[in-house]
Amino acid sequence: MLQSGYKKYMSLLAFVGPAFILYFIFLMLPTLGGMYYSITDWNGLNRDYEFIGFGNFVEALREDPDFIKSLLFTMKYVIVMVVLQNVFALFLAVLIESKMRSKGFFRTIFFMPNMISMIISAFIWTFVFTQVLPQLAQMTSLLSFLDQSWLGDPNISFFSIILVSLWNGVGYMMIIYLAGLQGVPQSLKEAAIIDGANPFQSFFHITLPMITHAITICLFLTLNGAFKVFDTVYGLTGGGPGRSTQVITMNIYEEAFSNNFRYGYASAKSVILFVIILIFTFIQVSVMKKREVES
Amino acid sequence: MKKMWKVAASAVLAVSLLAGCGNTGTNTGSAGEDAGVSEGGAAKSVTLKMFIAQPRFKEQYDSYIADFTKKIKEEKNIDLKVQLEMPNPDNAPQILKTRLASNDAPDIFGLHAINEIPSFYKAGYLEDLSDQPFVGKLMDSVKPAVTIDDKVVAVPLETLSWGYLYNKQIFTDLGLTPPTTLSEMKAVVEKLKQNDVTPFLLSYKESWIPQLFLPLAAGAMINTENTDFINRMNKDEGSFSEMKSMFEIIDLVNANGTDRALETGGDDGAAAFAQGKAAMWIQGPWYAETILASNPDFEFGVAPLPINDNPDATLINLSVSTSLAVSPSSSNKEVAIDFINYILDDEASNNFFQSVKFNPLATVHTYESYPWVNDATEYVKAGKSYQDPSIPQAVKDEVGKALQSYFAGQMSQDEVLQALDKSWRDYNKVNK
Repeated sequence: MLQSGYKKYMSLLAFVGPAFILYFIFLMLPTLGGMYYSITDWNGLNRDYEFIGFGNFVEALREDPDFIKSLLFTMKYVIVMVVLQNVFALFLAVLIESKMRSKGFFRTIFFMPNMISMIISAFIWTFVFTQVLPQLAQMTSLLSFLDQSWLGDPNISFFSIILVSLWNGVGYMMIIYLAGLQGVPQSLKEAAIIDGANPFQSFFHITLPMITHAITICLFLTLNGAFKVFDTVYGLTGGGPGRSTQVITMNIYEEAFSNNFRYGYASAKSVILFVIILIFTFIQVSVMKKREVES
Repeated sequence: MKKMWKVAASAVLAVSLLAGCGNTGTNTGSAGEDAGVSEGGAAKSVTLKMFIAQPRFKEQYDSYIADFTKKIKEEKNIDLKVQLEMPNPDNAPQILKTRLASNDAPDIFGLHAINEIPSFYKAGYLEDLSDQPFVGKLMDSVKPAVTIDDKVVAVPLETLSWGYLYNKQIFTDLGLTPPTTLSEMKAVVEKLKQNDVTPFLLSYKESWIPQLFLPLAAGAMINTENTDFINRMNKDEGSFSEMKSMFEIIDLVNANGTDRALETGGDDGAAAFAQGKAAMWIQGPWYAETILASNPDFEFGVAPLPINDNPDATLINLSVSTSLAVSPSSSNKEVAIDFINYILDDEASNNFFQSVKFNPLATVHTYESYPWVNDATEYVKAGKSYQDPSIPQAVKDEVGKALQSYFAGQMSQDEVLQALDKSWRDYNKVNK
């Protein structure tokens, strides 16, 4: 008994070991390093620095309106993204799943944007927003509503950012939902139809509960990803005009690499972001886990 | 699942293989060096590490370094090997800082004279080069940029003299000359508008472009009426409200510019300017290549931007960017300093500076430069220039963003000035 237990651990270690070592060196150590620097005033250049305890954290939360503003903007982005991305992805998945013939074609089409690097798609869309749409608007008066300052007007650029993020992100979630939908037993659906349930009832009472595990994963991924959004905004507006579309990661980037090079302070902000994401995902996962049902 | 493990395992293997290669590579490298030294007497072997973030000039640097290697072999019988590292300029400062902080300093490295010398000097990463022969060859207008605490700490490579760019064709067609006061500028704007020419090209998408107003306006004022501004700001005693008049020119430009300013980036702006969409562009000649790529026959000039009605305040900004410094921790300091002097060598330097298209900055440079450089140089020679004020990078970043917001109508003039004051105070707090 003892022997087999030992063996089990050995084989576990043998499998996990290599990945864990890499993970530890390239992810854990820098993370711990960042946490360590968050309680110092290191500027990334000097050899010596001082410990200032929680001074950085207090400053970030109390005396840094730009940080708070970017935090609120990120929150707004997260809420809109999590809702829209999942609704669209689920909607597309159901549509595609119900189509029998061109399933593969649509799946590929909608997944395609996900295969383009985010920063590249941001540049493609910059071109669309600044050149293509205004010229379309000039061609016919029907499309004149397209003549907007898509990236220059702070009120509109939020929607431009959401649009590009959705275009890029929906496909991936859709694939997960598709996989979930395929796992719903046909017999349950048939039983519902025999009992006289209409398609909506069957969707909300059979399909949805049966794919809760997919929803858990998708919510987790979208929540996480939306908090950490950087490249879309960086490529589209660069946080501008001014700081009106600056997300929290850009604020951290700016603090560490362009403003005063306050690595310690920027690390503290990263730790705050980490804690926020941790709390949100923890709540989300524990709530969703309770609702999952086994078939 | 099984497949995934296979993939993971092979990835691990591949990585360890690579790592192995890396190790053996460095081992043989150092072995070779040792052999070189142990040969003794005949020729000393030295390896210099250089870090210059200008990959676009790799060929020119390579051949210049080859010349230097030949020279040092003849003169001092040293077998010089140079490891030239040329990272992408965008992340070069990051790499350099990491290397310096981890005690792995390159013997010679490039840095930005105005932006980076003060903090690098403070951290003790710059060797004092004051008594080197190259110092005497530098032009007087350039020297202050690489001097700190009365010590020369770097040899300048790239200098920039700029104000704004103007379309020479449009100006000659309408019989205009670059204005010397703000009132004259207003007259020029009116005349251009009467002839259906948009006076200014606006390209504010990237925040460093609106940022250019600050060095121009503040620099001119610091050199005429407010000479101790920078010092007082560094002591938390000044305020940008003294500079409020800079909004006169900013408003004039903003009100008479092209559409979609916040969506036009630098490259788009260069293309539009080359197509003659506007007569003037608040921009430096560093866009010359992009402009000419889009219209090879385009003629443009460089002129100083008037900020008020004092013609003496209409000055060209003279800035030094890339400069080479020597690390004090270098183990081959002598050879490194020899190379620094070779940058302004009496014979070789002329060709090198010409080949990389840098502006002349020392007495040894006698080559003919571009027309727009000549434009600016004339102003500089007439004493109508000033040293780029050393405004902290944080403040420059802030002003770019604030002026974007100002243009978008989200910030008032006073809010912009307050934001600048705050960012300078923060800078002082961090760098006390």
